[in-house]
Amino acid sequence: MSSQPVSVKGSGGAGGAPLRMLWPFALALAVAAFMHFVVGPNFNGTVVQVLLFAGINITLAVSLTMVNGFTGQFSIGHAGFMAVGGYVAGGLVYYLSARFFDSPQIAFHGGILSAGADYRPDPDHPLPLLSRGDLIMIGSCLAGGLVAAGAGYVVGLPTLRLRGDYLAIVTLGFGEIVRVIFQGTGPQVLFTKAQEMRDTPLHQLAWKLGGAQGFNFIPIYATLFWVFLLASITVAAALRLKYSSPGRAMISIREDEVAAQAMGVNVTRYKVRAFVLASFFAGLAGALAALSIGQMNASAYGFIKSFDFIIMIVLGGMGSISGAVLAATVLTILPEALRQFDSYRMIAYALLLIIIMILRPQGLFGIREVWELGPVRRLLARAGRGGSAA
Amino acid sequence: MSSFLQTLIDGVTVGGLYALIALGYTMVYGILKFINFAHSDIFTLGAWMTLTIAGWLGVQAGGGATGPAAWYVGVGVLVLTMVFVGVVGFVIERLAYRPLRQAPKLNVLITAIGVSLFLQNFGQLKFIFGTDPAPTPLLLPGVTLFSVGGVSIQLVDVAVIGTSLVLMLGMEVLIFRTRMGSAMRAVSFSTRNASLMGINVDKVISFTFVIGAMLAAAAGFLYTLKYPGQLKQTADGMWVMLGLKAFVAAVVGGIGNVRGAVLGGLLIGLIEYLSVAYLKSEYRDAYVFAILILVLLFRPEGILGRATVEKV
Amino acid sequence: MSLLSITDLSISFGGLKAVSGFNLELAQGRLQGLIGPNGAGKTTCFNLLTGVYAPTSGTIRLAGRTLNGLRPHQIAAAGLARTFQNIRLFPELTVLDNVRIGCHLRTRSTMAGALLRSPFHVREERAMVERCRGLLEVLNLADRADEQARNLPYGDQRRLEIARALATQPKVLLLDEPAAGMNTQEKKELRGLIRQILRDFGLTILLIEHDMGLVMDICEFITVLDHGVTISAGTPAHVQNDPKVVEAYLGAPAGAEEVA
Repeated sequence: MSSQPVSVKGSGGAGGAPLRMLWPFALALAVAAFMHFVVGPNFNGTVVQVLLFAGINITLAVSLTMVNGFTGQFSIGHAGFMAVGGYVAGGLVYYLSARFFDSPQIAFHGGILSAGADYRPDPDHPLPLLSRGDLIMIGSCLAGGLVAAGAGYVVGLPTLRLRGDYLAIVTLGFGEIVRVIFQGTGPQVLFTKAQEMRDTPLHQLAWKLGGAQGFNFIPIYATLFWVFLLASITVAAALRLKYSSPGRAMISIREDEVAAQAMGVNVTRYKVRAFVLASFFAGLAGALAALSIGQMNASAYGFIKSFDFIIMIVLGGMGSISGAVLAATVLTILPEALRQFDSYRMIAYALLLIIIMILRPQGLFGIREVWELGPVRRLLARAGRGGSAA
Repeated sequence: MSSFLQTLIDGVTVGGLYALIALGYTMVYGILKFINFAHSDIFTLGAWMTLTIAGWLGVQAGGGATGPAAWYVGVGVLVLTMVFVGVVGFVIERLAYRPLRQAPKLNVLITAIGVSLFLQNFGQLKFIFGTDPAPTPLLLPGVTLFSVGGVSIQLVDVAVIGTSLVLMLGMEVLIFRTRMGSAMRAVSFSTRNASLMGINVDKVISFTFVIGAMLAAAAGFLYTLKYPGQLKQTADGMWVMLGLKAFVAAVVGGIGNVRGAVLGGLLIGLIEYLSVAYLKSEYRDAYVFAILILVLLFRPEGILGRATVEKV
Repeated sequence: MSLLSITDLSISFGGLKAVSGFNLELAQGRLQGLIGPNGAGKTTCFNLLTGVYAPTSGTIRLAGRTLNGLRPHQIAAAGLARTFQNIRLFPELTVLDNVRIGCHLRTRSTMAGALLRSPFHVREERAMVERCRGLLEVLNLADRADEQARNLPYGDQRRLEIARALATQPKVLLLDEPAAGMNTQEKKELRGLIRQILRDFGLTILLIEHDMGLVMDICEFITVLDHGVTISAGTPAHVQNDPKVVEAYLGAPAGAEEVA
């Protein structure tokens, strides 16, 4: 009986470590490139738009899984974090582009990776793979994610100490406060007023986010590449978390909070961590959403929007990442395919929610992943008893 | 001074409506320990049934050629609305919530969201209420009763405050003076013990839902009195927001506590209207939720609530 | 010098004094029993020790360190682990995962390490699995490692709770009615098991149990609670012959199977 868990053995040594650490990110890059260079050019703009939303929704559903699925806390403010990320990133890209490029009228300064589906290569002016505009965009998106994570920390720390439904109430309130705050910001400084834009210090521009009129003319950078890069990274992170000690600590809270505490899990810390991480990814997704439709309007990010993601994870199974991916994809594409029944869509969702809760309360897959179900699982069990898969 | 008085009157009027809705939230939470998200849609249903039933009874929008309806027509509309919505509340509890009596709280919460989405979107169907703005029927004449300190007191305000007050007193009597009331209190203390004492728990829960729905329906009726004009069945959550503020009121007063709901309702109404009058008015919803967060931080059990200890 | 030292521990809920003036000294390596009729305050004692409830007065010291005011996870980290009277496993998770969560407390890799699968994290996870399988071996659950905890039979669930508590590497283990719901054969095995872990893990155990046969057999020292007050303490023989204890159990002959 070893009393100390760590015993250093040479076997899994230095050679394989970097590969093992980084392969999901390489895979994410490959998926993103495949979507951008192979799938994108073969479909028309409408299909690409649906795919973009699918990727963004996958990110949001999987990140929400970390809160609702792993820790069992109930957040109804996910769209609020999306809005924070979207406004921060949209505002930064818009105003920074104006600062850094001489001709602010031409909003888009991206490279090939950010060029939309309708882009056809021009031999006289070849686009670089990555341009300065892309760097501004990436920085802005990360800033959006970080600000959203910070908001998650501020909201989560006091609330997650309390038991029960308080997170649901507070996140609901948070979503509304975010909406009201952004609707109270000053009017957007338009491209036509280039001089004013240059003379106003950045920290003042930060509050000129369009108010109730919304923030428009955000350069469109979000392509299948960036959206699916984010979605793949989110999925990889969620999987790695789920099959590791910190992730199991989170899941133990959802299973039985009292027992988790008694086993030494700092429940407040792990609830907050899950919540902050989820807010970060929601902020990034919100940033890409803003950069794909080119505008932000706070009124579109109320709790009714948050319900969309709740429906996705309930359908997929509370805690199942592959289930969330599947449900997000289906629930994004299906309504587009069935547009003529649009007024019945939400009624169908509502009934589906109620029926699933009554007949299959753990969602379609429960906490299991697709490959852990029935026959697939038996196959894997025979193949070998590896503990950590991802 | 007169504008301050006017603000107070508006705050108390709306606070009374919040209190009526908050009672439904708090009673259900007290007994089943879950947030009935669909309750704000029950309130909305109350408002829309008021329009519909008034239409059936021949009351014309804006008074029409016939002028305001007779007083007993208004009372009739109120009673019919309450009965109809009460039945809806009963059906919802029976079909959606009762099968989940033993299920984890999270599931019930999600079901409540499902019911809420259903009511909202079903109501927006063309052949139900639709999404077009509807004019409100003129149930009360726009009469000024008297003036105090330069503020004219409208008949509407007196009617709204009066009706709220009567209903709240009725609840007080029901809960603290009747057999059903003591059964409700027993079930809220412990469902299991209450059933061991021979109380029909299912019946009590059904009754609670029906009463809560009827109060919300009354609030919907009173809302159409207080804010006549064009009402819109909207998806942007205006109605839900009103219901949510009532929920905040229930939490602030101490969720599960009936008197707390009334106190919280009045408080939230007053705070909302005072802050709109004297601070930035675009932030009215934010003030209410900021108060909620402050209460949760410093007194999570609410003003009149009691902290509970979870049994291990 | 005792390892766990409880002085004048009391708690009241409203007007009810659930535990009052509870004292207990537990030396390293001992196995003590805590018995009493239903509602005597035994489980409340455990809840006080593990920080679920805050005591109204009194002190709890473990290896010289005061535990009062610590939160439950800090108390677990200090070396006090427990099982629950009404089994509280992580029902949807596998048997192995249940035990692994017990190990979490002693892990040192970070969230970033987990997300990047750092070499340290991977080694730690591997060692953890090894250790957990070892614990499952000891508790006779090795062949059930991949089953969902809620699908286990009752007796296995009780033993899984012990495995999970052992995974936290406690100094003192609090067992709350480990034999409840077990059949005679399982109870007999449990006796051997408790003796074995006491010896092999260098543990100290405080045991709540209604099965008098089991308590009298394996405990060296017994404390008897009734209505929150200690009414007797001493060797099994002493406690069995104490008229106050007999009276507390309403005249039932002490030593009978299943006094409930």
